[in-house]
Amino acid sequence: MTVDQGQVDQGRPLQIDSSVDIGGARLKNPVIAASGCYNRGAEYGRVVDVSGYGAITIKSITREPRLGNGMPRVAGTPAGMLNAIGLQGAGIEHFLANEAPKLASVPTAVIASVAGFTVDEFADVAARMDGIANVVAIELDVSCPNVDGESGACFAADPAATAAVVRAVKRRVRLPVIAKLTPNVADLQPIARAAEAAGADAISLINSVRGMAIDVVRARPMLANAIGGLTGPAIRPVAVAAVWDVAQAVKIPIIGMGGIESGRDALEFMFAGATAVSIGTANFRDPQVHVRVLRAILDETARRGFNSVRALTGLANPDFAGARVAT
Amino acid sequence: MSRPAPKKNSVMASTAAALDMATLATREYSAPGFWCLGFHAPAAAASARPAQFAALDIPGAFAPRLPLGIWTARDEQIGFLFREWGERTRRLAQLQVGAQISVIAPLGNAFEAPPRGRRAVMVAGGLGIVPFWMLARDLVNAGSDALAVIGARTSQLLVGAELLERLGVRVVLCTDDGSAGRRGSVLDIVRELAQPTDELYGCGPAAMLRALCGFALEAGLPCQVSMEETFGCSMGTCWGCVVPVRPGSAQATNYPKAPDERRPYDFARVCADGTVFRAADLVWNP
Repeated sequence: MTVDQGQVDQGRPLQIDSSVDIGGARLKNPVIAASGCYNRGAEYGRVVDVSGYGAITIKSITREPRLGNGMPRVAGTPAGMLNAIGLQGAGIEHFLANEAPKLASVPTAVIASVAGFTVDEFADVAARMDGIANVVAIELDVSCPNVDGESGACFAADPAATAAVVRAVKRRVRLPVIAKLTPNVADLQPIARAAEAAGADAISLINSVRGMAIDVVRARPMLANAIGGLTGPAIRPVAVAAVWDVAQAVKIPIIGMGGIESGRDALEFMFAGATAVSIGTANFRDPQVHVRVLRAILDETARRGFNSVRALTGLANPDFAGARVAT
Repeated sequence: MSRPAPKKNSVMASTAAALDMATLATREYSAPGFWCLGFHAPAAAASARPAQFAALDIPGAFAPRLPLGIWTARDEQIGFLFREWGERTRRLAQLQVGAQISVIAPLGNAFEAPPRGRRAVMVAGGLGIVPFWMLARDLVNAGSDALAVIGARTSQLLVGAELLERLGVRVVLCTDDGSAGRRGSVLDIVRELAQPTDELYGCGPAAMLRALCGFALEAGLPCQVSMEETFGCSMGTCWGCVVPVRPGSAQATNYPKAPDERRPYDFARVCADGTVFRAADLVWNP
């Protein structure tokens, strides 16, 4: 998709190519709704034009129905939000029968997020997502922080476990596969390399940061699950650093996320090495946030004299390992 | 008496939420710590129904939005009655007349009014009075015999009752410490007064609603309650604010196609499937 930026650069109308390629999935623009914050797209569609997103990532689907965690599941913190939803959902059968057909009417591309507790579960659910109308990629939620203790579900803490999931899924699907990694590890680079070596077509990061808040009046954790995942601007520097590190370790595209609220925030991620960005919690405050973010990315592209948003990727990262776009 | 469960998209379902700028038009200190703010928001004021809420973007605060029940809806304004409590309500209370904020409203489903001329009892605990201004107005307009039983721990926390009286409904007050109205709980009064009635409505602390629902089920009275939970998105996307409901009930979201699934409860989203639930559909402390 090209967007007319009007008369800039010595009176020449500059056409900006806003499209990006996420491991084979072509998105019309690099702004994505993050998993868990957009359900299936219909809710925010009541108040904003969802088609402004390059893609939306649906809430993670598991094989079995799950009731999720007890209440409370969310808590406010000074610069972010804690959540421990616990992957509530009706499971893949219900999804395929009732919700998958509706994805065809989502007015932009859909990334299907898959969660699981075993390698087989990931592969089974991912395989059944392949072929749903409008689904352009599979994101593997190998890093949900809120289901620990249920078989040590955080695959993304370990390079071999991450690779095993990616490899099993890649054998079963044709769509591009995105591995979503956690920042709750000592060193992300070996995990990202393992995902790439196992065939991942892209990496998204970060998932929420393990965190906790305590109600000092009641002397109890704020969340029923005690520990939750922190999101929002509080985690943005952690996320930018994660993208920075991983961009030096792998050649596959990166989707950066974590506390993005504005175009300026998104540029940090792209300059660190992200090809695209995802917005999660900020939707809860400003459902128009994606419009502002995309406009800022296009403006910045034009201001720097580039004709593609892809030229912004890795600008600040001298050791960026991915493919640079000549413009 | 038993009633069929309401259909999911019956009169209770929500419809016309909109994202809009609203201008602060009136600002009153209602009682110590309580504020009453009126925002110019013509579309929301015209479409809001009893128990619906708004999600406010509070300047200077981070996500998520502040969800507040809509108190009044008249003269192109929606009014909020709230207590200054945390960061967001403190900032909201400091807004000056003329300030513009982004509001998504109206959200959630609504109380279903009883057929014309029926008797209705509204039961409120503290700020649980909020959904009852619009309901009282609707009941009075429908010629219903409407009574409001409003309780709080102490007189300082008893707010808004005079606005309900002004609409023409009978109001009975009570406090735990006897500092205003009768000493005792709203349930004490409801037990005496509610029968005969055609419909019970409740909003307030969970313990009060649980007792009210228990009473209603025992007495065979239809009862609708507006629930509260900590909201994340306020829009139904994040699954942060669920409440346990009877599997297969109208608002149950997880297994609507598998009523044979043997589970003691299912979850519904308070913000999007509620906030109003039938007493018969709620499962307390599963």
